[in-house]
Amino acid sequence: MTFLPFAHALVSRKDLPIPAWLFAWAASIVLIASFFALSAAWRKPQFEDERRRPLGERFSAALTSMPVQVLCEAIGVLLLGFAIYAGLHGTEAPDRNFALTFLFVTCWLGFPFLSAFLGDVFRPFNPWRAVGRAAGGAFAAIAGQRPAHLPYPERLGRWPAAIGLLATVWLEVVYGASGGVAVGLSPHAAGLGALLYSVYTLAMMAVFGTKEWCERGEIFSVYFGMFGRLGVFGSRAGRLYRRRPFSAATSWASIPGSAAVVLASIASTSFDGAQDGAFKDSIENLFEWFADRGIELTTALRLTDTIFMLLTFAAVALIYQLGVRGMRTVPGAPSFKQLRTGFAHTLIPIALAYLVAHYFSLFFFQEQAQFTYILSDPLGTGHTDLFGTANGLVDYKVLSANMIWYVQVAALVIGHVIGLMLAHDRALVYWPDYRKATASQYWMLAVMVAFTCFGLYLLSVANG
Amino acid sequence: MLPVAHVGHYLWALYVIPILIVVGAIVRNTIAQRRTRGEDDSPR
Repeated sequence: MTFLPFAHALVSRKDLPIPAWLFAWAASIVLIASFFALSAAWRKPQFEDERRRPLGERFSAALTSMPVQVLCEAIGVLLLGFAIYAGLHGTEAPDRNFALTFLFVTCWLGFPFLSAFLGDVFRPFNPWRAVGRAAGGAFAAIAGQRPAHLPYPERLGRWPAAIGLLATVWLEVVYGASGGVAVGLSPHAAGLGALLYSVYTLAMMAVFGTKEWCERGEIFSVYFGMFGRLGVFGSRAGRLYRRRPFSAATSWASIPGSAAVVLASIASTSFDGAQDGAFKDSIENLFEWFADRGIELTTALRLTDTIFMLLTFAAVALIYQLGVRGMRTVPGAPSFKQLRTGFAHTLIPIALAYLVAHYFSLFFFQEQAQFTYILSDPLGTGHTDLFGTANGLVDYKVLSANMIWYVQVAALVIGHVIGLMLAHDRALVYWPDYRKATASQYWMLAVMVAFTCFGLYLLSVANG
Repeated sequence: MLPVAHVGHYLWALYVIPILIVVGAIVRNTIAQRRTRGEDDSPR
């Protein structure tokens, strides 16, 4: 059986030219320099207009045609169905079962990485949207009218997706934390979780409508769609278009609860990186405290991890709120609520940077498994070899430890510089006087430096 | 002799320094701006 270590502890770094903490100082200097460059040279908002340019009519029509849509939806439904089947009926060895790697690595990490460049690539493959649309179409054909739905409560916004996002990560890194494997959750639990989520989300689609639920409550549509707003392709009224990179992000956070989604993303990645590194001693202390009081060991561990996960979310949210509160001190500032919503999209590149920094090596190594032995023997029975690659192995030498570290540092710096750029651009909307806009962004600079140093600290402890 | 055996536990402090520098500079700048605004608004 092949066990993969966690992404953050693949191999120890060696022979860095400078100590790891100096990278945090250098990254901070890059951010400060970028901030002043933006202040000096960027005096009008650039991202508020997406500047859409339609793609070629034939190309666009072909990609959005009914047969292609049906094909993509069928692929999505089949893969989800197979993942659930593999989870429920395949091997219980986490790293040999198709369900875990496919759901928690290929999809969970692959869609954000791809969407950040190309736009929302999950939408055409979304299996729940496909089933919801098919059911709605069948109902309309039989009843002769479109299904009636309840109005979605406006105040609920994207909160169901934010809570669902934390719950999904909790399932993987807290409930399934068995230590030492890429995804510690048992395949059966993953299959059952996917099945229960499918029932829940289809029921919500029946109540509120497929489009409404995908826009606001469906965890994966909201989460992957958030990263898709950074990408250069979009669609509207059946036409594909090209847009200015990052520009679609500016309108993403207008729905209540959006800030919670992006903060949940940063917090859950941070917690996953910290639980075996920076938080390890504190987690052990609290765990022992619970265990000493007679709480069963597994329950005590899950309780401790849950508390730390929620504390991480609270800490990340607090840093952002402090930045927003700081902006309120600048004359002419809009309301606190407006600022909190208005700047939430600036955290999307940071959420992506955290994902890349923490998981890209895991993704890289685990996808080798996905496309060799897992693909040939998806149930992990040891008796199947569909493509002749069942004996394939993961090559860990492809990425050196130092290369991983440099990619991590680069991802964090680039993500935060893009975050600063988006924040500066939004500030120019609220404060057309660029001097006031710059003054307001001192606080976002502090937020970005804090997230960069925090991220690098977590990585340095986890890899060290 | 310096007690350096557990110095690794305090490495986090080196990651906090850039944050403190930036926050300190912002607070200082904000106070200076408020003072200037106060002087401008005061009756002559």
